[in-house]
Amino acid sequence: MNADLIVFDNVSRFYGDVLGVNNVNLSVPPGITSLVGPNGAGKTTLMNLMTGLIRPTRGSISVLGVRPNQPEELFRLVGYCTQFDNFPKGMTGFDFVKSFLLIHGFDERDADRRAWESIDRVNMRDAANRRLAAYSKGMRQRMKLAQALSHSPRVLVLDEPLNGLDPMARAETIALFEALGAQGVHVIVSSHILHEVDRISDQVILLSQGYVVAEGAIESVRGEVKDHPIQIVLRCDNPRAVAARLFEDDNIVEVGIHKDRQGLLIRTLNVDAMYLMLNRIILEVGIEVESVAPADEDVNSVYQYLIGAEGATV
Amino acid sequence: MAVYKKTYRSYEGRMTPEWARFFVLTRYAWEDLQRRRFFTLFFLGTLIWPLICALGIYVRHNLSALELMGIRAASMVQIDSSFFLTFLGVQCMFAFFLNSFIGPGLVSPDLSNNALPLYLSRPFSRTEYVLGRMSMLLILLSLMTWIPGEFLFGLQSYLEGWDWFKANAGLAWGLFAGSGVWIVFLALLSLSVSAWVKWKPVAGGLLFGLFFVAAGFGQAINAVLRTKWGNLINISNLVGSIWVSLFNKPLESGSGAVFFRIARGEEIPVWMCWVSLALICLFCLYLLGRKIRGVEVSR
Repeated sequence: MNADLIVFDNVSRFYGDVLGVNNVNLSVPPGITSLVGPNGAGKTTLMNLMTGLIRPTRGSISVLGVRPNQPEELFRLVGYCTQFDNFPKGMTGFDFVKSFLLIHGFDERDADRRAWESIDRVNMRDAANRRLAAYSKGMRQRMKLAQALSHSPRVLVLDEPLNGLDPMARAETIALFEALGAQGVHVIVSSHILHEVDRISDQVILLSQGYVVAEGAIESVRGEVKDHPIQIVLRCDNPRAVAARLFEDDNIVEVGIHKDRQGLLIRTLNVDAMYLMLNRIILEVGIEVESVAPADEDVNSVYQYLIGAEGATV
Repeated sequence: MAVYKKTYRSYEGRMTPEWARFFVLTRYAWEDLQRRRFFTLFFLGTLIWPLICALGIYVRHNLSALELMGIRAASMVQIDSSFFLTFLGVQCMFAFFLNSFIGPGLVSPDLSNNALPLYLSRPFSRTEYVLGRMSMLLILLSLMTWIPGEFLFGLQSYLEGWDWFKANAGLAWGLFAGSGVWIVFLALLSLSVSAWVKWKPVAGGLLFGLFFVAAGFGQAINAVLRTKWGNLINISNLVGSIWVSLFNKPLESGSGAVFFRIARGEEIPVWMCWVSLALICLFCLYLLGRKIRGVEVSR
């Protein structure tokens, strides 16, 4: 068992006759990993399996070398922020974070200190002594995040943590995830906000109807989607000349010139061959290139190509 | 893939002992309870009867006080097993009322607020969760039943002397075990009702229903089928029979404690009472096991 990876080995989970997830094989390295998929795809099931709240019907899971059926060891490593608002009744934000630290096994003084540290990290000190029931959705979300962080877990499992956050809080939260990811924490995030997933993720896991559709760094996942030609945007001073030469390559499917006549959109089946040819064209024709960038190497495009209409609800 | 410098350190220091962690739940439940004025008043009210009993024991042994009041010692109530059974009956009925007030609010808010995944995504098991919630009731109901009972027993032994203590030592055990049976039964019943009925007033009402309606139903079975086995679902009868045996009294018609009296001519063997009560407790545990889960699966 690898002490640095979260490993799913042929994991399936059924709820009676209903499929939760099926035949999942994953190795999740440190950094930010996003779970993406339409409603009911199995994202929360995967997170619940990871945290041992439900057991797999088949297969095995290990979280940094620890099996979920060893809760004493597992929950030293894992912090979980669930999707729904779940709070014991009548508590203040501070009590909420502190009480769970006490349950975790920290003594009174340590629990106090860590609770404040963690509340500070999510910028909630001013509201910490107010009752949770009086919090807005975004404040509750941040407090949940504080309790998940408070015991310094090595794996943070966060089910839709950006829901309900205002743009400022969202930016702060994303910065926090990035900082944790950069320190080597496994940050597992599920989210429906694809452009943010795209920005923060080191790797994505795409799920649909209980199956893992794709996993890995977004560029490599996009490279594997052979059915859809890769789109490249080139901004230059003479797009017509470039377009004319590009059609000599059989892999080029389509070239469209931008309305402002200062760029073109290229669709190709072989991106490496296209880049080689582009280099030649630039040298031979002598055009001035402003930028070359992939146009669909993002989670949104990959999501559309691989999941498409199934994900229309997202 | 990015290359990460492992600068992050998770906590590797000392932790509090595992066995003590469930008391965190008890502590927070206690703090929550203290905010309710009705609870405080009722709880203090339940201590009046033990005080009256203590006063009775004291006066019975204080000749000058008896003379002052013009009462003969022989005419005063005897301090024997019947005295302690009556004490237990009254206090356990108070315990039942308090339990119906507190019990339904222990688990249902966590279930309706989806809080269980939070508790169970810690080094904290389902058993510890139930123990944490149950301890609240165990401690509180103990303060009302066997603890004052043992105090009364100690007072009587002190005033009456060593011989009385030796001859009646079984009463101390009877008080402790009799209360214990009732407290554990009540706690399991109210927690399981609380886990299945999320609306507190309904859960409280259901507890009363189980106690009184089951007794009525048992009586109806007895009357219609001309039998006595209907008493197996009559909780007060079951508990009363067990108490009588724990106090080493003969199981006879009309014996038992106030509110927990055994119906005349309808005595059932004590072992059957134990089995019946144990089955109800096991059923409660089963119900708790079904509901206290990290994730509620809806099919």
